[in-house]
Amino acid sequence: MAERADDRLLRLLGIVAYLDGAGPVPVEELARRFGTTPAQIQKDVDALWVSGTPGYWPDDLIDFDAASIDRGVVHLTEARGMTRPLRLGTREAVALVAALRAMKETGAVQADPARSAVVESALGKLTDATGEAANAVDVRLAPGGDRQVVSVLAAALAAGHRLRIRYVSSSDVVSEREVDPQRLHTQDEFAYLAAWCYRAGAPRTFRVDRILGAVETDVPVRDHPGQQAEIDFAALFAGGSSPPATVRFAPRARWFAEEVPVESVRNLPDGDFEVTLRVTNPGWLRSTLIQLAPYVRQVAPPALAEDVAGAARAALEVYESLGVGGGATDVTQPQGGSGAAFPPDRH
Amino acid sequence: MPSDLNPAERLLNLVIALVNTNAAMTKQQVRTAVAGYADAPSDEAFERMFERDKDMLRALGVPVVTVGTGGHTDELGYRIDQDAYALPPVDLTPAELGVLSLAAQFWQDKTLQTDITRAMVKLRAAGAGDPSVDALAGLAPSVRAVGDAYGPLMEAIEARRAVRFAYRAAYNGAVLTRHVEPWRIAARDGGWYLMAFDRDRQAPRVFRLSRIESRVRIVGASGAYDIPEVDTDVMLGKAHGEVRQAVVAVRPERASALRARGKPVPDGERQAWLARLPEDGGAGGSSPTGWDVLEVPFRSVTGMASEAAGYGAAVVVLEPAPVREETVRRLRAAAALGGVRG
Repeated sequence: MAERADDRLLRLLGIVAYLDGAGPVPVEELARRFGTTPAQIQKDVDALWVSGTPGYWPDDLIDFDAASIDRGVVHLTEARGMTRPLRLGTREAVALVAALRAMKETGAVQADPARSAVVESALGKLTDATGEAANAVDVRLAPGGDRQVVSVLAAALAAGHRLRIRYVSSSDVVSEREVDPQRLHTQDEFAYLAAWCYRAGAPRTFRVDRILGAVETDVPVRDHPGQQAEIDFAALFAGGSSPPATVRFAPRARWFAEEVPVESVRNLPDGDFEVTLRVTNPGWLRSTLIQLAPYVRQVAPPALAEDVAGAARAALEVYESLGVGGGATDVTQPQGGSGAAFPPDRH
Repeated sequence: MPSDLNPAERLLNLVIALVNTNAAMTKQQVRTAVAGYADAPSDEAFERMFERDKDMLRALGVPVVTVGTGGHTDELGYRIDQDAYALPPVDLTPAELGVLSLAAQFWQDKTLQTDITRAMVKLRAAGAGDPSVDALAGLAPSVRAVGDAYGPLMEAIEARRAVRFAYRAAYNGAVLTRHVEPWRIAARDGGWYLMAFDRDRQAPRVFRLSRIESRVRIVGASGAYDIPEVDTDVMLGKAHGEVRQAVVAVRPERASALRARGKPVPDGERQAWLARLPEDGGAGGSSPTGWDVLEVPFRSVTGMASEAAGYGAAVVVLEPAPVREETVRRLRAAAALGGVRG
């Protein structure tokens, strides 16, 4: 509960600098401006009133008009030289500038000239005020899918219009849906549209790069109070009742344990690791294990391993009929070999 | 003089004193004259208190400078540089402030959120009005949490100091202590990376923050190195290379995400490929032979192969050979997972 000394100091200095330029300001307004309560502002004013330059005689102290305070208005009469707002520290500048630069590059901002102009000008003013460009942190968010789709989503969000979308799920099933868009979450790996889905009769989150087409209708979105959209990932892992799968990976596939919501990870002495996960969507797991197969040592239960292997064999048969990739002229390396030439790829 | 000041009030009095001093104040002058310091029960307690306060002020961006006092002793004096103290005028419109307040939700880490909150308090003190978020309505950009390494790494980059940490190598899973000179922290495709000069290897290296298995400790003096101009994408090895085209055969109605990026090949080429592909057992679809032949742009061979392999028999890579071989390699490894065949 106790506020940190540095945060309070920042507000105390901020109040004096602000009041010096603003003239008399009601306590409630100051509280709103500095994100605190009127009671705290009263305490801050009391603290400022007895602060000043060494000596601390009446003329040395920050001073307020006492009659105004009684009326609930803070009127600074002596600032003791603390009239200028404090500059931004390096870390603060880095946190702001890196966020704005990342935002500027997102599809949703780039799709709309007015939006990109406001981000651009905020960034410009900020870098003017903070001096040297803050290069210590460099974030790029997901490209966010097809440009045209993204610009339709962004326009519908801004106008509050219902969308008609064509969506392909992670298990490769296409559907047409009408949705009320709520939010466009652009994250570092993927962008997601949070929306109310009329087909599901429930809130849903769609990965934007899987939206194959989008049309903005002129139907205004409805209110769906208390309905928080869940993320697409959750649909893959939602049912805690599905049987657990256990997969042992070579070290090169470590990102899997880092990025997929697994139930547990066990590091083995030889650098391998074993993850346990429960997935309600077998299509996703099959497809992911084929993609990662060169780094997969073992899959349990056997039925899952056979499912993965069966899908792969069916594909290999097609390659064999083409006269490539089959027979004795096998270009592949034994599984579990060094694999050094083939870094895993997430996409 | 009030004697029971809390730390924030003591710091406030220190700032006012150091801003208003004519030349500079020595530590002794601070101790005897500035409200809150006379309470220190011993010399050491005062030293500790003063050092901590100075660090805290600097962390907030208050430019406390050290100067010689010019007297008979070589005692140091302290003051706050007025010109460096002030925020230059920033005239932000409500819409621009709205953009900045979105930045507050951008970060998931508490330490970065604190940095943003402080920046906002300073901007509000400079007279900025109420933010308007209309311009970016419905947009919620965010990046996943950096983690505990952020604080010490930022500090190290700012002061150009080396750090030490235990790191799990992706190659063989071994955990080793690494000594590096941090240059930049970067986020790409869902991962956080440290770009640095590796002192042990005497070469630039990239580290994945999620594989740092210990606290990051700052070691050595400040200003120990310079940070070169580097291109994040080049250093991370994800520079966007040239775009090439893969030719793939896709079963009707399947792999829509792949189709969305591709386009059909010219008719003559399509016929040539269809002649070689096995016929579908009458499933029909949009192509009489059960295959659509598409050209799909790609940059990374392994990325393209991985995606194609994931579709199993619904997608067949026809060209180029390296992508096809990489796809088959994955399929063979997958086929080997299931019992004796393979």
